[in-house]
Amino acid sequence: MLFYLFAAIALAGGLGVVAFRNPVTSAFSLVASFLGLAALFIHLNAFLVGVLQVLVYAGAIMVLFLFIIMLLDIKSDEGPKITKLMGLGAALLAMVFVGMLWRVTVSLKSAPLETLYPEVRSDAHEIGRLLFGEYFFPVQVVGILLLVATIGVVVLSRRAVR
Amino acid sequence: MPAYYLEIIVVLLGLAVLTFDAVGRVEDKRSLAGLGVLGLIVVFFLLFKTSKPADPGSVFWKFYATDALAFFFKGIAILTTIVVLLMANDFIPVLQRFGPPVEAKAHPQSGFAEFVALPLFLCAGLMWMASANHLVSIFVSLELVTVTFYVLVAYLRRHELSLEAGVKYLILGALSTGLLVYGLAWLYGATGALDLSGIEGALATTENPLPALFALAFILAAMAFKVGALPTAFWIPDVYQGAPTPVTALLAVGSKSAGFIVLMRLMTPFLKSELLSGKVVAVLAIMAVATLLYGNFAALLQSNVKRLLGYSSISHAGFLVLALASAPSHGGALETPATTVAFYLASYAITALLAFLVLSIVSAARHGDDLNSFRGLAKASPFLALLMLLSMASMAGVPLTIGFWGKFFVFQQAVFSRLWLPLGVAVIGAAAGFYYYFRLIFSMYLETATGADGNPLGKDTLTKIGAGSRIAMILLALAIIGFGFFPGSILALLR
Repeated sequence: MLFYLFAAIALAGGLGVVAFRNPVTSAFSLVASFLGLAALFIHLNAFLVGVLQVLVYAGAIMVLFLFIIMLLDIKSDEGPKITKLMGLGAALLAMVFVGMLWRVTVSLKSAPLETLYPEVRSDAHEIGRLLFGEYFFPVQVVGILLLVATIGVVVLSRRAVR
Repeated sequence: MPAYYLEIIVVLLGLAVLTFDAVGRVEDKRSLAGLGVLGLIVVFFLLFKTSKPADPGSVFWKFYATDALAFFFKGIAILTTIVVLLMANDFIPVLQRFGPPVEAKAHPQSGFAEFVALPLFLCAGLMWMASANHLVSIFVSLELVTVTFYVLVAYLRRHELSLEAGVKYLILGALSTGLLVYGLAWLYGATGALDLSGIEGALATTENPLPALFALAFILAAMAFKVGALPTAFWIPDVYQGAPTPVTALLAVGSKSAGFIVLMRLMTPFLKSELLSGKVVAVLAIMAVATLLYGNFAALLQSNVKRLLGYSSISHAGFLVLALASAPSHGGALETPATTVAFYLASYAITALLAFLVLSIVSAARHGDDLNSFRGLAKASPFLALLMLLSMASMAGVPLTIGFWGKFFVFQQAVFSRLWLPLGVAVIGAAAGFYYYFRLIFSMYLETATGADGNPLGKDTLTKIGAGSRIAMILLALAIIGFGFFPGSILALLR
């Protein structure tokens, strides 16, 4: 039951991001969507991921988004002109996607949600052990990725001083 | 030496370049690229000195494959990066004009060190991709490569086309990453395994193929973006044209070859499952046909050489997907599909790198990369024109060049798998290829170029070719002919 409530919040938030014309409203819809997602994670007993979702995404990243929106002083987005053909194509694509998703979903055997995560564990502990044990190699690669991203920011935003 | 040392050395090389630039007071920064090139040459020879894993049961080897295919593609990645760094050396004037702005008193070549270090990190990413056999390591290494490309494509910040290319690549790249993660998540949900051998086992015994096929749709769409095949190849011409020429070469050769080995590894579990292989082959065959038609026929109309090479890279992706589609075991074929794809990519790498080297010199000297810049090249610089002639002949697949054997093996593969319709389209595509590759040769040898003032373009600056690029070009040209006579020596590396 709770699952449907939170899923509805996440979906409504997502819809709001696309539907609202004012970027600040869109940003706040995104926060609602993230909170719904976080609740879903906690519902699945993934407490750490849920909390991180709130802290990092709903907290830090959204604040950054809002800062940028206010810094650039974007009033409201006119949006690109959508021709009938584009609308038709998008609707067709969406329908194909939903149809595929529907067929796949009904083909699945349903299992109670609780069986996915049968017991409550200290998952921060678990995740830490996984990251620095089994998944040590991908974590190192992510480290290089962050280094590259940092270099990229410096290179692409450097400004000449006169 | 364990195989994973190779990537560590390459990353350290990138860090060394950055450090020397920061503290070393380097006078001529071309020496930084020289350092990178020398280091990579050493790493290339170390490729042949790696040892088998001492404890194959250890958890690390779940993420990291050490088969012949992985080393072959690591080799392609290293050679590509070497050539790209040599090209970057000749690219400094363009960087100074359009690159990141610098302070008045700063070093005139400032901003070049990053242009050397980023391809090195990218090379490490490509090498990790070549070895990735776990969904997590596939995703992480792929993202390292993609994020580095976001920066490199937009590197000429003061040039409109480069910025446009950067934005297009960023948005479409982010979309394809989203599709990939969604597909991988479904694949994990359908099979319950993250490593490819586990997925293979789960798919072999699955009763309900629908979730896996759903995942496949998204994975294919995302990987098609990386390798430049339809349905997601429309970014290629714009981004190829706008990106700095060395980066275009890296995109065309490095990104495509590493994308193909990841695609091959991801498709193998599907192709081995009896329930799914028929459908997967059908989807791949449709992709191949669409890609071949789009790439070859759009290329007919191009007047910009960079865009032409972009469409030609789409058409090559079509041939490669066709080779992948003819995968199911078929007694009697000489080569397995993975070998065919690897050989084709090696031949494409050698050919395309030579074309991009010539293109980068000509476009830097004549300030343009449309067909007009190539008119009368044979008179201005017979050396460059001859190299371009060789490269174009190999791209078209003229016999006794390496490109001929690549196409030959693909056709042979398709015949053995009885994919008659895609084969027919591929033959038509190859014929169309002859037209647009030879049109370039025609303008180099039989037409004269006219500059903005109406006078024919002369020798101007075409003779200023760096020694490194010159050696690389001669070696690549020799490779095109040499391996055209002895294709077996490349195939031997794959056994």
